[in-house]
Amino acid sequence: MDADKDNANPTIINPSDLPSRRRSAPTAKRPGIFDALAPAYPSLADPLSSPEASSDSASSDEEREEIDEQEVYDLISTISDPEHPLSLGSLGVVKLDDILILPPTSPRSRISTVRVLITPTTSACSLTTVIGLGVKVRLVNALPPRFRVDVRIKEGTSRTADEVNKQLGDKERVAAAMENKSLVNVVNTMLATCE
Amino acid sequence: MSDIQLYLLEADKNAQEARRIAAQSASHLQNKTLKLIDLVTSLEPYLNNKEDGSLRAKSVAYVADVLTALPPKVLSLQERRLLCDFLLGRLEGDVEGVGATARALIALETLGKWDSETAQGVMRSFIDHTNPLRQFKLQTERHAIIQLVDMLLAKYRDPIRKLNEDQSDFTANFILYWEGEKDPRNLMIIFSLLQVPMTEWDISSNAQDLFDSVFNYFPITFKPPPDDPYGITAQDLKDRLRACIAANSDFAPYAFPQLLDKLDSTSMNTKRDVLVAIQACVTEYEAKTINLYSVTLWDALKFEVLNVQEEDLAEESLKALSMIGGKLAELPEGGPLNAYLRPIIKECNEHLEDAPTKQSEAAGRILQALAISGPAVADRIVKGILPVLFALYHASESITKRRGLLEVFTQIVGAFVKLSQLLPGTNITTLQAFAKDAEDAMIHALAKAPKSEVSFRLSSLTGLSQLVAAPGVLTDKQVERAVDTVTDVVLHDSSGGHGDIRAQAVQALASIAHNAPQAVRDRTIPAFMVMLPDSPDEGDVVTVTLEAFAQLATERQVFDTVVLRLKNKLRAAKHQGAPASYLRALLLAMLYAFTMGSPMQEDGVILSSYYKDYAQPLVNDFVRSDTGAAASELEIVGRICNIILRAQGVHMQATVFHEDREWMSEDMTGDSDSNTARGPFMLYYYASLRPEVVEAEQIVNMLQSQAKQALRDRQTTQESVTTLRLISLVVNKFVSPKAVQASLQEANIEVERLCNEASAAQAIHVAFAVVKGLLIQGKSGSLTTKYLNSLFDHLTITTGMTAAHLFATLLAPDDILTKANHCQISGLYKQKVFGQLVPKLTAAIRTADAGKKAHYLVALSGILKWQPYSILAASLPELIPALLQTLDLYADQSIKASALTVFESIAMHDPDALSTHAASLIARLLKCCIASPPRGTTTPASSSTTTPTNFPSVRAKSLQCLALLPKQLKLEIVVPFRRQVVKQLMGCLDDGKRVVRLKAVQCRTAWLSLEEEGGEED
Repeated sequence: MDADKDNANPTIINPSDLPSRRRSAPTAKRPGIFDALAPAYPSLADPLSSPEASSDSASSDEEREEIDEQEVYDLISTISDPEHPLSLGSLGVVKLDDILILPPTSPRSRISTVRVLITPTTSACSLTTVIGLGVKVRLVNALPPRFRVDVRIKEGTSRTADEVNKQLGDKERVAAAMENKSLVNVVNTMLATCE
Repeated sequence: MSDIQLYLLEADKNAQEARRIAAQSASHLQNKTLKLIDLVTSLEPYLNNKEDGSLRAKSVAYVADVLTALPPKVLSLQERRLLCDFLLGRLEGDVEGVGATARALIALETLGKWDSETAQGVMRSFIDHTNPLRQFKLQTERHAIIQLVDMLLAKYRDPIRKLNEDQSDFTANFILYWEGEKDPRNLMIIFSLLQVPMTEWDISSNAQDLFDSVFNYFPITFKPPPDDPYGITAQDLKDRLRACIAANSDFAPYAFPQLLDKLDSTSMNTKRDVLVAIQACVTEYEAKTINLYSVTLWDALKFEVLNVQEEDLAEESLKALSMIGGKLAELPEGGPLNAYLRPIIKECNEHLEDAPTKQSEAAGRILQALAISGPAVADRIVKGILPVLFALYHASESITKRRGLLEVFTQIVGAFVKLSQLLPGTNITTLQAFAKDAEDAMIHALAKAPKSEVSFRLSSLTGLSQLVAAPGVLTDKQVERAVDTVTDVVLHDSSGGHGDIRAQAVQALASIAHNAPQAVRDRTIPAFMVMLPDSPDEGDVVTVTLEAFAQLATERQVFDTVVLRLKNKLRAAKHQGAPASYLRALLLAMLYAFTMGSPMQEDGVILSSYYKDYAQPLVNDFVRSDTGAAASELEIVGRICNIILRAQGVHMQATVFHEDREWMSEDMTGDSDSNTARGPFMLYYYASLRPEVVEAEQIVNMLQSQAKQALRDRQTTQESVTTLRLISLVVNKFVSPKAVQASLQEANIEVERLCNEASAAQAIHVAFAVVKGLLIQGKSGSLTTKYLNSLFDHLTITTGMTAAHLFATLLAPDDILTKANHCQISGLYKQKVFGQLVPKLTAAIRTADAGKKAHYLVALSGILKWQPYSILAASLPELIPALLQTLDLYADQSIKASALTVFESIAMHDPDALSTHAASLIARLLKCCIASPPRGTTTPASSSTTTPTNFPSVRAKSLQCLALLPKQLKLEIVVPFRRQVVKQLMGCLDDGKRVVRLKAVQCRTAWLSLEEEGGEED
């Protein structure tokens, strides 16, 4: 069974070492354990002070949380690898450092670019294209249209990088690939583990 | 006509009647009106009928039925022997009615025991003359024969076994006899009867045939037909077949190769059966047999663990490997165990070389599973693995590799921990030799490794707490070092952000406290005390330390020390005039310890001495002395009293209450300000008391004074909340149900009167508080009904919105009105409110004008908010239109949120109810998930400053609700909306809040996936 996998035994990154927003948030904002002692229910005198309402009213002035690299990472790191039951994040195929959000090139344009560099588990991985396609499909579906999605293979990590980059950069070819039923099925199973 | 003639007539038409006729013959035989010889002679023309086989069969059936109906002692030994010979004699030439023959023989046997020769004769006749069994097409016939053989094997073990020893061809024929049987009812008995030869006979020359005769059925793929009257399941067959496979060590040469061959099957169920069968074989076969196959088994089973296909298969394989180890350890000589473990240790060591990989993780699991199987195995594993492991550890600079190795080490230690629980006093000297190395490595990792190496430090943390848990592995000094290191992480690892492992360290410390309480008391607690000043200047760091300290109280062994130190610290802080926030934090820590921790108990009740030692001093310091303690401090003191006091018996409570009564009663009757100020304490204090402790007169006084306060309008929100809750409590727990109305009138808070005082907002609040108490109590049914109606009527007035909002509080959970606080909790109060108010509300919503309608909608959603879904489910057709209108109430976010929650439950449980409303629901959900409605749609009346917006929680909730629809509703209903929804959600992907964006992505994914499903069906 191992023979038909390109890389039967890849290195796996421990989940607690993966970048996450929760862990990088400052601890001060975290609710203390003592706060959980008193359950907050709407009370007779002030029925509107239910917990969700109070937490909302504080934040309802819509302090905007911009889409950042971590958010893009969270969108794609949970995609499963097509040949291992593991996520792309834990295989190190997508890395936080390899995600870049480029602001609009001119003041008149609204279009930002998300650039994702993919690191295949081995340089000969034949499924690189499929992984790239999965990442691209996921981002196109999950990011607002003001983002241009640019998925590439990280330089020097794949022997077929140029070929794959060409395929992924070509809108027509991506669209054509998504007409292919078996390919769509592979991509869908990869994306099935995404939240 | 003779009985036989009558019987033959009825035999095919009416089996019951036929049996009755046979029974009649039997009674003739019994009272001697019929002689056996005559009965047999009367059979003659039918039994010997050459043309008609079925006639012969029916004649035998008649004999069988007569014999079955016959009581014992009617037939003499000679007659029975004669009949037996006659029946067996027939078999030689004629097998018609063989089933009936078997039945007749079973009946004969019950009339009188056979001697050895007869039993052997019966067995031989069947095996010789009716072989193979499958020639008989009727299941019932075969079943009767199988029952006969089963009986023979059960009751005449020795004579039948002699057949095997004396007659060379018997066993072979016996095995062949069953070939081809397919009926599960028969197989159940065959599998069971075959265990007799398998376990008791000498079958060395027939082992393979006997084994194959049962293994042919492996794996069982039987599926019982629907409503099968026999109730035989595949599992029943599997269990019996497995017992056969494992019955005799002589099967091993055939069993293991064939089972391992089937382990390569692609069917997971087959593999499951194989693994369980292997486990059974390992348990049942002799150790010296297992020895011959141990390495073969390892070579096959390891793949299930190294390349996990299904987690349960890996676990079963580990179990099998562990059982083999345990079995071989039974042998007095160590050779076989060594031979088994040598390749395992070698392979695991190889995997460790490139840790951490899936294989090295698997190696850890394998070693742990094996080590648990017994001290001898664990000992060898430690000697074989750990030297290599630590050599690799020291040779490598890579932190990930070191982590992989430490994890394997921790798994082995974990095995020792389990082993020492199962077999106290397990020899751990071999592990001790490595304990220092391991501890050094892990302490170094925790103290010196970069903070960003989270997994490495976490592994070390788990490793240390496991090492401490293995009794006797570490010396006291070493335990103290471990405790110091972990304590250090908790106290000084203040990096924050990525790499903060304090939460896990606190947990580790609590588990260490379980195994080494003395070390934690000696080292950790003093270290914490140093970090907790008597009067701090800066708040935040101390709170974190205090939180960690309070969590130590979850371990019973150190609970008393923790609370004692907290108490002393609190006293010192108060003495030094520490800031109120610090006092409050200390009180909270104490409350946390008592609520979430593990205080000592007696008969399942928290020790009463805690009240005198901890609660009483707090009451004296904070409540009685006029130090002007803040309301929040009083509340916490009240809650500490509550948690200790409420489980105590009447006697103890009465003593406490008696002491406190004097200084309290001054307050309760008087109108002093201290009365109001002490409210938060009183609330929790009274909540803890059993109703019989307090006297009635006192209660009325209290109710009056509280009512007076509640109706005053110069209270702060905090004060009035407390007063109202106290009123609900008193009404629920202390006021006698018989005197409710009188008491309420006396206290001036009779609900109908309150409702009429429409002007005062306080009055309506008090009314709701009273009704809440009564409602949950459920003892004054008609009065509550009347009051609920008054509250409902209050919605019709123009200022009814206050009341409308208050409906949400009626059913809201309340930590005062609980069973633990000795309150009366009716099981049906939610149903009562629903049944009484919801039909009225939905009817009113249909007819009311816009202004009033809002009142009703708000009240309705307040009631539905806390209803369990099962209550709503019956009234969905009336509720859904009303709830849809609720989503249009722009101003009110919490109301909208609760309506969305209800829709979510409906979509989960009864999606079909939403089908007809799909269009309006989807449109409204799409409106709710936008932050603010697009410009131009807002009415001119609402100026730009008050543009209605949806709060993030509402947006997220409506997206969550919307995401359910494509999965829950029928395809043809949702597909038409797909394009519109997917397009609209594009906007939500750019929402200002991250949580909302996450929900939008999930929702959009759900709707996008519709196309493919639809496409496939086309």
